Amino acid sequence: MAKFMVSITHAKDNSDNATVGFVVANASAASGVETVVFLTTEGVRLSSKGYADDVHEEGFAPLKQLMADFVEAEGKIWVCSPCFKKRGLDMNNLVKGATIVGGAKVVEFLTTGGSCITY
Amino acid sequence: MSETNDQKNILPDAEIDLGEMGCGDLIIALMKALKLLKDGQVMRVRSLDSGAQADIPSWCRMRGHVFLAGPCGENNEYYYIRKGGCT
Repeated sequence: MAKFMVSITHAKDNSDNATVGFVVANASAASGVETVVFLTTEGVRLSSKGYADDVHEEGFAPLKQLMADFVEAEGKIWVCSPCFKKRGLDMNNLVKGATIVGGAKVVEFLTTGGSCITY
Repeated sequence: MSETNDQKNILPDAEIDLGEMGCGDLIIALMKALKLLKDGQVMRVRSLDSGAQADIPSWCRMRGHVFLAGPCGENNEYYYIRKGGCT
């Protein structure tokens, strides 16, 4: 089975990229492809419950809805461990479907047939 | 902090405490530590990193080590790795 990663490096600092990243991830997950959204650098903020509630880019569904759709389509959200730690975010406040991971998990995914696009 | 009952049945040959180390730093430290073991020996690793539960099993698969056990409760921070022959 094909594997696809969408790396998202932005949150409210570039809500266009954050939103489009999930739009593409949803296209992948809904196509039956094993799909991971990797939230890294500033993008890790999207992993906190409530953070994305007020993000709604013109021309797209609200980010909160996009993220919920992604998880419903069996997509996984991986959250960069050192990026998360650096920002002092709360591990007990992760959105549904999110898991904290480090580099090895990402490397294994990409070196065993995974492809990646970055937003 | 404690170990699970399953973990208590594993006898390590060596131990390393990696504390809060995470991501690439954690993996480099693991690689160096495992190099000191012979194939088949077991390393007990203490890690407080929240990403370690995902990373250590992945790293073992990539390097040909056997991931024997890891945390399965909130108050557990130990991992057991049997060295394979690929380092």
